[in-house]
Amino acid sequence: METCTHCDEIALPAVYGDGDEMHARPFCCEGCIAVYNVLHLKGFEAYYDIKKNSAIFKRRSPVELRPTRFDFLDDVEVRKEFSYANSDGLTTMEFYLEGIHCLACLWLIEKLPEFLSGVYSSKLDLERSVVTVELGEHGKFSLVAKEFHQLGYRPHPLKRNQDVANLKTREERAFLVRIGIAGAATGNIMIYAVSLYAGADGGFGQLFNLLTVVFAVPVLTYCAYPFYHNAWSALRNKTLSIDIPISLSLIVGGVMGLTNLWLGVLDNYFDSLTALVFLLLMSRYFLQKIQEKGLSATDLHFFYQSDSVLREERGEFREIHPRSIKSDDVLQILPGQFIPADGIVLRGASNLNNSLLTGESLPVKVTAGDSVFSGTENLDQELVIKVQNVAEDSRIGRLLKNVENGWVNRSKIINLTNRVSKYFTLTVFLLAGILFFKLLQAHDFRHAFEGALTLLIVTCPCALALAVPLTFTRALATAAEQGIIIKSDEVIEKLAEVKHVFIDKTGTITLGKLAITDFQAMGTSVVPLKDVIHNLEVRSRHPVALALKAFIKGSEQSSLPVVEYRETLGTGVSGTIEGHFYEIKKERIFQDGVPVAEFQVADTVRPDSAGSVAALTQRGLGVSILSGDRVEVVERIAAQVSLPMTQALAELGPEAKSELIKKTPGSMMIGDGANDAIALGNAHVGVAVHGAMDISLRAADVYLTTPGLVPVEKLLILASETMRVIRRNLVLSLCYNSLSVLAAFHGYISPLVAAIIMPVSSLTVLLSTLAGTKKLRRLWKY
Amino acid sequence: MEILIILLPLALLLGATFIGAFIWSARQGQYDDLETPRFRMLLEEKNINRSSTPREDRK
Repeated sequence: METCTHCDEIALPAVYGDGDEMHARPFCCEGCIAVYNVLHLKGFEAYYDIKKNSAIFKRRSPVELRPTRFDFLDDVEVRKEFSYANSDGLTTMEFYLEGIHCLACLWLIEKLPEFLSGVYSSKLDLERSVVTVELGEHGKFSLVAKEFHQLGYRPHPLKRNQDVANLKTREERAFLVRIGIAGAATGNIMIYAVSLYAGADGGFGQLFNLLTVVFAVPVLTYCAYPFYHNAWSALRNKTLSIDIPISLSLIVGGVMGLTNLWLGVLDNYFDSLTALVFLLLMSRYFLQKIQEKGLSATDLHFFYQSDSVLREERGEFREIHPRSIKSDDVLQILPGQFIPADGIVLRGASNLNNSLLTGESLPVKVTAGDSVFSGTENLDQELVIKVQNVAEDSRIGRLLKNVENGWVNRSKIINLTNRVSKYFTLTVFLLAGILFFKLLQAHDFRHAFEGALTLLIVTCPCALALAVPLTFTRALATAAEQGIIIKSDEVIEKLAEVKHVFIDKTGTITLGKLAITDFQAMGTSVVPLKDVIHNLEVRSRHPVALALKAFIKGSEQSSLPVVEYRETLGTGVSGTIEGHFYEIKKERIFQDGVPVAEFQVADTVRPDSAGSVAALTQRGLGVSILSGDRVEVVERIAAQVSLPMTQALAELGPEAKSELIKKTPGSMMIGDGANDAIALGNAHVGVAVHGAMDISLRAADVYLTTPGLVPVEKLLILASETMRVIRRNLVLSLCYNSLSVLAAFHGYISPLVAAIIMPVSSLTVLLSTLAGTKKLRRLWKY
Repeated sequence: MEILIILLPLALLLGATFIGAFIWSARQGQYDDLETPRFRMLLEEKNINRSSTPREDRK
């Protein structure tokens, strides 16, 4: 088996570049040959050297390139919107590059200033696939975009809200500074605390005590600020948060340490408390980082909107950015393009793929006077349309608004840790009260007060607060490795509650692509049938033509001259080959008017769908198909994945789907199209599958980057096992807390005991997190 | 024990210097992208082959 010289994909069948030097090298497609040639032309042979040795960072291979021009990037308005000026006279624009896949890409893109004049710098962020380009006065962003395109990447200019972005960077850096200070202070405090435990007293004892206080003050104020802030806002909104008992312990511990310093008592809990702040900040930082990674990956998929379109201006068509489309504009839509706005066809006729908008699997024919909707794909002929509704007023825009409203109204769930923290806080207060009165009877007020405060400090639920974010971080990372992007940790908790799975048909259970399901030759054809198909359908982009071409792919075909070739829209193709008149129409092939073959096309079920559905049913979940397509089609598909007919729900509009989902508790919706978006947003958990539209990505909680339903089962296992680990951690940390309470009641608690119990309990839950469960370990191994 | 009178301030000064350096580098944005730089350093000596003469575009 040969692999492509450029992209390393398996080349089937391989295409060979012509010319002496390359003719021995296999490629997977013409696109890769083109990029290979460009790289050689410019002297970038090193690209392939780097690639060979770059197993460290590898991702999906480059994308299929559509011919696009980028002139619109030089428009004053577009430039104003997408770029911003630096202080030193440079202009900066960011592009999301589709097709970044290995180290060689990094090298190539950062060499940009060396071969494109006017470019001052070019910096790539591999994780986000975002390149930041700085241009001098004479640079043009259209040339930059063209260059990226030529090198085999698809550039999408990113719109940046500069203020929001700056604020975010500042906050992130402040978080790092907090961790750094907390870590340094903790280390130093430990040195002095150990000396104190070892029995330093007198002048040095006082000095060391003072030093621990000096180090602890910034940690308990500046570094621990996020905990106080969260606790305060939770209190104000009358909700619960684990940060409340944490803040309480920190404040009580801080006050007690300061008082003891004032009184000259060498007792404080600063060593335990600062270590706690440091570890907690770290675990939260990791969780935040990994969530952002998932978010940025989904936020950026605004693709169908970012290809440029042709607009008629004074009799000729000019390239513009879809953002500047207005009502009554006349647009030319090329085959393969997505329609950017709702409108009416003025000239031309073509087939549209509506599947993302309505769920229909067969293409729909449109001619002059018909309405077209934004978000549908033009399949085979040029269309000229007049725009009626743009952006928010278009059908897809209204859907989007609906989704966003649902998003705001959706109640935030209170997660398990925070639910527990309510009882936890109440119990701790109750116990502290009991201890206070018990000690008051036995000793004096000061003793009683101190005892109660100590109890509040040592029952800090630190182990729990530490373990939970780490467990979720691990789960999100495991999911990401398998190509599942989960938007937040709460989703994992919700996933564990899923009882009924609703699956969209087109593109989810099925391939969303027509294929030949049955092919019968009748009678004899003079020209072999595969050659008839090859020569007649070679230019057509109609789904049936694509299905036929896929059907004969792999066999030897010979190119023959075709006379009087015609493609009749909505009917088929015809032409004369070697003196015989052939037609392909109505699922038949005719030779001189006599049928010589019969075939059937249908959207086929993915090979793994039946297995996945069975696996879901076996887990005790209800499974239904939810589709906007016709009843017969849906029932046929249901039969193929062995679901009862009662679970094949057909002819449902977006709102009907969503209503059904709302009525079902613990519902999970899996879908891709815009017609699923509201349902995805309203479901307990919404899962957008590979190839989904931007709008459904936004509505969903989970995004699968690999096609098919196989990841869903993994996702459910991951979620339920992760929740098991969390519950186990909960029990473990509560055990340690009970132990500290017992010790406090019997008067055994001292800073030294706390300094032992706290890290040991944290370590236990950490180990429990790392150990996972049997099933989780199996998932990690993949 | 008297040596502590010199060592303590020295240790504190050292610690303070490093904290200061860390804050400075964090504010400079040195930790904003933790992924790319470790790869970037591997590629520094690779250069564009300037000597290659432009050939005609083949396809």
